[in-house]
Amino acid sequence: MWNVGPLAACVAIATAAGTAAAPARAADELRPPGKGAARGGFLWVGERPAAAPRRVVVLAPSLTDVVLAMGLRDRLAGVTRLDDAPEVAGLPRVGGFLDPNPEAVLGLSPDLVLWVTDGGALAAVRRIAELSRASRRPFPVLAIEIDTLADVLATPRIVGDALHEGERGEALARKLRDDVEGVRRRTAGLPRRRVLFVVGREPLVVAGPGSFPEELLAICGAESVVRGERPWPVYPLEKAVADDPDVVVDAAVQEPADGIRRLAAIPAVRRGDVVRLRNDDLIRPGPRMIRGLEELFRALHPEAAR
Amino acid sequence: MSGARTARLAVALAAGAAALVAASALSAALGAQPISLRSALGGVEPDATILFSLRLPRVALAAIVGCALATAGAALQALLRNPLAEPFILGVSGGAALGGSIVLVAAVALARLGGAGGAPAGAAPSVAAGAVAGAAISTFVVFGLGRIGGRLVPEAALLVGIVFNSFVAGVITLMKLLVPAEQAGRLTYWLVGAVGNESGGTLALGAAVVGLAVAALVALSARVNLLTLADEEAASLGVDVPRTRATVFFAASAATGAAVALGGMVGFVGLIVPHVARRLVGPDHRLLLPASALFGAAFLVLADAAARLAFLPLGTEPPVGAVTAFIGGPFFLWLLRRTEAREGASR
Repeated sequence: MWNVGPLAACVAIATAAGTAAAPARAADELRPPGKGAARGGFLWVGERPAAAPRRVVVLAPSLTDVVLAMGLRDRLAGVTRLDDAPEVAGLPRVGGFLDPNPEAVLGLSPDLVLWVTDGGALAAVRRIAELSRASRRPFPVLAIEIDTLADVLATPRIVGDALHEGERGEALARKLRDDVEGVRRRTAGLPRRRVLFVVGREPLVVAGPGSFPEELLAICGAESVVRGERPWPVYPLEKAVADDPDVVVDAAVQEPADGIRRLAAIPAVRRGDVVRLRNDDLIRPGPRMIRGLEELFRALHPEAAR
Repeated sequence: MSGARTARLAVALAAGAAALVAASALSAALGAQPISLRSALGGVEPDATILFSLRLPRVALAAIVGCALATAGAALQALLRNPLAEPFILGVSGGAALGGSIVLVAAVALARLGGAGGAPAGAAPSVAAGAVAGAAISTFVVFGLGRIGGRLVPEAALLVGIVFNSFVAGVITLMKLLVPAEQAGRLTYWLVGAVGNESGGTLALGAAVVGLAVAALVALSARVNLLTLADEEAASLGVDVPRTRATVFFAASAATGAAVALGGMVGFVGLIVPHVARRLVGPDHRLLLPASALFGAAFLVLADAAARLAFLPLGTEPPVGAVTAFIGGPFFLWLLRRTEAREGASR
């Protein structure tokens, strides 16, 4: 009796291996590039469209913003339920950023799907690519990896090429880059302010090394006080107290503003040196992030903002 | 009171208090940020703020929650006449979490409607009241459904508790969809069992509720001893069984509800601590309940210090509930096997 167990397990493993062999190819095809868009970190799954795509489904709000900033709202066929740009209010929704719904995507018969590579949605996007291949009208998926500000600035070109609107993409990329450089120039000669960038208060979650805010703070003539290796650590409040930042940026925009009082042990909070962000632009890696950068600069350096 | 027992009570209380003081000192001395106790006591910043505004309140919070859960666990074990009973496993913590979450979600809804009632409804006292009510209702449900043919069957009650927990988890998952993402994240963290930074007022309120409930249980401890006998026997010894049981139920629920409101679903404290305390002071509840209260406080203070310190190299901090579950899960299974082996031997 006892030897049946292992045998059954072997059969089960063999069967599983057999069924897993087919999708394995698609998995390789969709493996995230492992480098940011600025260094060529994007990939096409399926044939690149020969004609300009007209029914584009976007699986990330930051890419929707890119398409909108290029003035190409009419190309969009579907967006995620997290998309809150007023221009797309009436568009069909195809699930979330982490859980796109393959059925809903297919139901819109897109001719291009845009995706920001993210582990959480990989399985669903892989399924979308498989279904596309099996359908009579296959459509390509363009996967873009956006990890740094340089990737954000490179993305409009990639999306522009994909939409056969290379010039608009180029123009947008140039404008975003000029905006960033404009802020950077204005910080010359200003004091560097030491900042704690708070995205959640209970528990205290802050922006750390490798996160977008860390990079944005540096451009704004400030620096994050958070050291370590994690981009979004759960941060011991006592470390925040000892770090003694000049300013606390309160980016927990979903929470009531007065909740920051929970962190009153931090001297800057007690002093009232808190910059409350009005929206989450700074963690939307697209045109909004650049817009938020300007606001962050003004808030951190009121003396220089005219 | 016999002299021998008074002496043993004094020893048990002294040992418990010593454990609590040692755990508190350790937890206050260690943390993510190295501080000097001397400069903290001398008022040097930031050491003083870290010690007095962060670490000591957190020690107090962990002590209150641990004290409540361990005492409630010991009482529930007596009621169920089974060493596997525990607020978390029996679904009492789950009921408290559900009650508290319903109040929180209702507060969010009220705030959205623009009503002025939103903010006070989301404040600590009403959430705590919801948690206590939820704990009481779930205790009632679990012990009610754990009766088969009019008799309380411990295994049935435990099973009902486990099913009730899954049910609660499902309902809370659904409720999370009703609140903004950030709130939902907070709810999740709270439910895992996190001893964070509460305001002084919240701490005082929690301490008052837990203090009253634990005092009631300790005052009833002689009768709790009799409850561990069969109902008929207890009644023949002059105990008003239904009334005593109801009082113990309610006190244990109130302690659990307050603990959950303060620290979320910290599991297994009520299992581990009474078991260890029973080893030290024996099965007499007049000793066991106060000892559990003190050792429970010491245990959770230590567990929280471990949670804060163990993951420092990774630069992050898990909720204390993860630590107690890590210790408590295997402990429960070990206890289950041992109980089974004993029952098998006695058959």
